[in-house]
Amino acid sequence: MEELIQKLKKEIIEVLNLEDIKPEDIDTNAPLFGDEGLGLDSIDALELIVLMEKNYGIKLQDPNQGKEIFKSISVMADYISKNRTK
Amino acid sequence: MYTDILITGAGIVSAIGIGKTETLCSLRDGRSGIRPLRYLKTDHHEFPVGEVQLSNDEMCALLGINPASQPTTRTALMGMLALKEALEQARLIDPKTQRLKDPIPLISGTTVGGMDKSELYYLDFLENDSRNEYIRTHDCGACTEMIADHFGRFSMLSTLSTACSSAANAVILGAEMIRAGRSQCVVVGGSECITKFHLNGFASLMILDKEPCRPFDQSRAGLNLGEGAAWLVLETREHAHRRNATPLARLAGYGNACDAFHQTATSPDGEGPYLAMKQALERAGIMPSQVDYINAHGTATNNNDISESTAIRRLFGNQLPPVSSTKAFTGHTTSASGTIEAVICLLAIQHCFLPVNLRFKAAGECLTPIYQATDKNLHYVLSNAFGFGGNDSALLFASPTASANSQFSILNSRSKKVYLLSASQISAQEPLREDWIDSPIPLTQPLTPSREADYKQFIPPLEARRMGKILKRAIATARTATAQAGIDTPQAIITATGLGCVENTEIFLDALCRQGEDQLMPTRFMQSTHNTMSSIVAINLHAHGYNATYAHNTVSFQSALLDALLQLRRSTIGNALVCAHDEMTPSYHALLCKGGYLKDKHATECAVSMMLSTENNGHALCEIADMRILYRPTEAERQQALAEFGDVTYHTSAENIFGTSYTAPALDLYAAAHTMNNRPIVVQYSDDKYLTLIFLRP
Repeated sequence: MEELIQKLKKEIIEVLNLEDIKPEDIDTNAPLFGDEGLGLDSIDALELIVLMEKNYGIKLQDPNQGKEIFKSISVMADYISKNRTK
Repeated sequence: MYTDILITGAGIVSAIGIGKTETLCSLRDGRSGIRPLRYLKTDHHEFPVGEVQLSNDEMCALLGINPASQPTTRTALMGMLALKEALEQARLIDPKTQRLKDPIPLISGTTVGGMDKSELYYLDFLENDSRNEYIRTHDCGACTEMIADHFGRFSMLSTLSTACSSAANAVILGAEMIRAGRSQCVVVGGSECITKFHLNGFASLMILDKEPCRPFDQSRAGLNLGEGAAWLVLETREHAHRRNATPLARLAGYGNACDAFHQTATSPDGEGPYLAMKQALERAGIMPSQVDYINAHGTATNNNDISESTAIRRLFGNQLPPVSSTKAFTGHTTSASGTIEAVICLLAIQHCFLPVNLRFKAAGECLTPIYQATDKNLHYVLSNAFGFGGNDSALLFASPTASANSQFSILNSRSKKVYLLSASQISAQEPLREDWIDSPIPLTQPLTPSREADYKQFIPPLEARRMGKILKRAIATARTATAQAGIDTPQAIITATGLGCVENTEIFLDALCRQGEDQLMPTRFMQSTHNTMSSIVAINLHAHGYNATYAHNTVSFQSALLDALLQLRRSTIGNALVCAHDEMTPSYHALLCKGGYLKDKHATECAVSMMLSTENNGHALCEIADMRILYRPTEAERQQALAEFGDVTYHTSAENIFGTSYTAPALDLYAAAHTMNNRPIVVQYSDDKYLTLIFLRP
């Protein structure tokens, strides 16, 4: 799981172009969205949906599903490990 | 002097019919045009669409065009079909020759332009020479030229590109030109076909419904894309009377405002839509209670319908007029929707009925639209068109018999003077300063990219990370020009771009053509529309006022300047930020060279923002006294235009300093304003199609 968490952090930094942030700066349990934590928004959520499909073969049909899955890196990693097809 | 602006001709092509008669029948019979995909070649067959039920070849046959000898695009063909109907009804073309009798201006709205062919031939463009003729049909301005040229010669052309409100904003510019006394009669409208590019873009934003769309319904799950074209002939009452033309309706008012909230979402309180509708009513001098019907933007996305409901409730309170979205019939016809729905409103006025909101069952939080066919006499009808980037517009139409509470004034001789207070550039020269102007850096390469400024001082990192260079330049020059002029929030932001956000468009198109229609990045699409710069600047400056983007190749900037000048001189606004932005990538540069543009020229990028005002703060660079835009002028017209400005120094081009880009005339003006040495100057631009003149006084 730790390996997946580290990989995910790197992928998120790359796909969301978080230039000034390093993987160790991201708190695994902190919220990704909103003012606390990383401060991502709805467009980032759509990019994360693309990332899930591209890298893990998980296809989300409804953008609202993202709200639960993208709560934090740890929740996201947990969901990916249970549902990944690649 | 006062006059009415009448509508004396209308033409429409959409999924529910070719022409007004078929459209009317579909509307009255409740026959939707939403069907499975048929004409567009795409993998996305899960999405129903509102396609025009004609192939390109069938449209060519109807128009007498030989597709083998003339490169055409679907947007242009639909545009021609609809324009034919409008010009015939207004009797502006000779019935036998189908040629325009007198040259008049034509203003169009589109965003995809020739993208249908570009996405088909993109790899050919890069790899061989088999489809080079379609490089020239790509840009929005080329699309307008193809449509116009089919009917002979129009006297001026321009193209608005404000995403889904483009055609509505074309109506507004046309009306402003009439009110300024620039023309007695103007043709306005828009055209847009469905492309793989924006079908995939909307899919990546997850706002497409796999079922036929349900505007304002609790179960709504997104929009269906549609396509089509529609045009209106606007003319003064006097001009119509002289020609014995029959008015279909009167353009009673219009509004344009910017939500300045988010690139793709509308604010929860619907500020932009609210301001646009309010302005339309105020211009017409009528009360909310006098509106008999609202044709809503009503896309059926979760976000639009709730925020539009909120905006309508804010303006109309307890006296909600009947509302419906006809996108359940046509699909969302994007850039053309402004005039497609305007023509639907004209049909409703003429035939006394309320168009029904198909597939509505339960309201939820949204307002309840008209869900049963109803007959009603309509005096005042409001039509909404909102676009990405918060470009929100509203048009108000009155029946020919509705009493005129107030008439639009026509510019009189006591119009305001317009001053250029400041100008800021990022180009091949030193960014954001002008002290280099006597010793510019020489241009030596075929393509010279801009010298970048330090953007950190203007844009927070979390916002900057998603922005391409063109957006950062737009914000940096805008912030510099407004600060130099001492203005925090401009009352209007008017932007010009020849090719728009080339970098993002190219990345999205490349992925689409090479990797296929899957897993495309929404951020790239979202920032590929031409109005991205204008709306990002509006968000950055919290500017809710007038906002427009012009994309008409070499006269994009001149169009934006004309729009600002007309509004400032009539005091509709007190100041305006006018911007010009074009970026270039190596492969786009190679394509343009292949297409025959940029021959023996130094290609560069352009970022200019300038602050115009009717108040001289004592530091104005010059007065912008007047200007002209002429399309394919005769030699006599050319001489006459030049003679109007008298004996002045001509400043033709600053190409040796700034190189060439579509919006380079903005840099010509920048250079002229900084080097005019107290003498009047005319900034002249001319090529094989256009002559533009901008008259500067010290």
